[in-house]
Amino acid sequence: MKRDLMEILCCPMCKGDLVLEVTEENEKEIVKGTLFCGKCNEYYPIDDGIPNMLPPELRE
Amino acid sequence: MNITYKGTAIGLSPDVYEPSEDSFLLAEAALSEIKNSETILEIGCGSGIIAAIINSNTKARVIGIDINPHAARCAKKNGVEVIRGDLLNCIKGKFDIILFNPPYLPTSEEEKNEGWINAALDGGHDGRRIIFRFLEQAGNNLSDNGLILMVVSSLTGIGVVKSKMESLGYYVEDKKQERFMFEQLKVIAAAKNDYPMNPRC
Repeated sequence: MKRDLMEILCCPMCKGDLVLEVTEENEKEIVKGTLFCGKCNEYYPIDDGIPNMLPPELRE
Repeated sequence: MNITYKGTAIGLSPDVYEPSEDSFLLAEAALSEIKNSETILEIGCGSGIIAAIINSNTKARVIGIDINPHAARCAKKNGVEVIRGDLLNCIKGKFDIILFNPPYLPTSEEEKNEGWINAALDGGHDGRRIIFRFLEQAGNNLSDNGLILMVVSSLTGIGVVKSKMESLGYYVEDKKQERFMFEQLKVIAAAKNDYPMNPRC
């Protein structure tokens, strides 16, 4: 995902803001990382450049 | 497997909805509405065909969302910016155009299929379950002069869907339609005010 996607993404459960942590990034986008919601204490993974914004029970 | 439409080559994938008449009708409607560099959100982007057609034919920025992990990966491979998510649950921004080719087939409990394709087709017992859930959220993510473009089938009850839009305060207009053997497909536009419907007035 591109970094500016942060402007439109929120926690799917509380609609709150997310904190981005990047583990791998190339010249185009964030390839791997997490999006963290402090209010829900939940991490949303970014894998292969795709943020997975489903609550944990729907994630698989 | 690959298909090409409007000069756009798309790779397909098992467990992902195969682009069909409804996809092409919505793509055509979107291309007629896009004027310049709008920001566009496509809910249920599937293989990413509509977003990819927009990418290769316009300057708009389009972001796709799909709940199906295979669809998200397929759209990504087709060069589409994609999020895995459920309708608009994880979206806080506002968009000029929201596109949705929803699961609109009336589906009973017995008719449900196993697997991810079901999520692309199953509209609940009356075909309108996902459409209504989407419409109730969409106002928060549509800019004031924005436009929702959504495919609806005669099997879903086009009149009922339009009434629901009107009850939520939208101006509603038919944009494109096509008749097939068993159903009529329509692209319906909904807007918060009448400006997008009559932009030159």
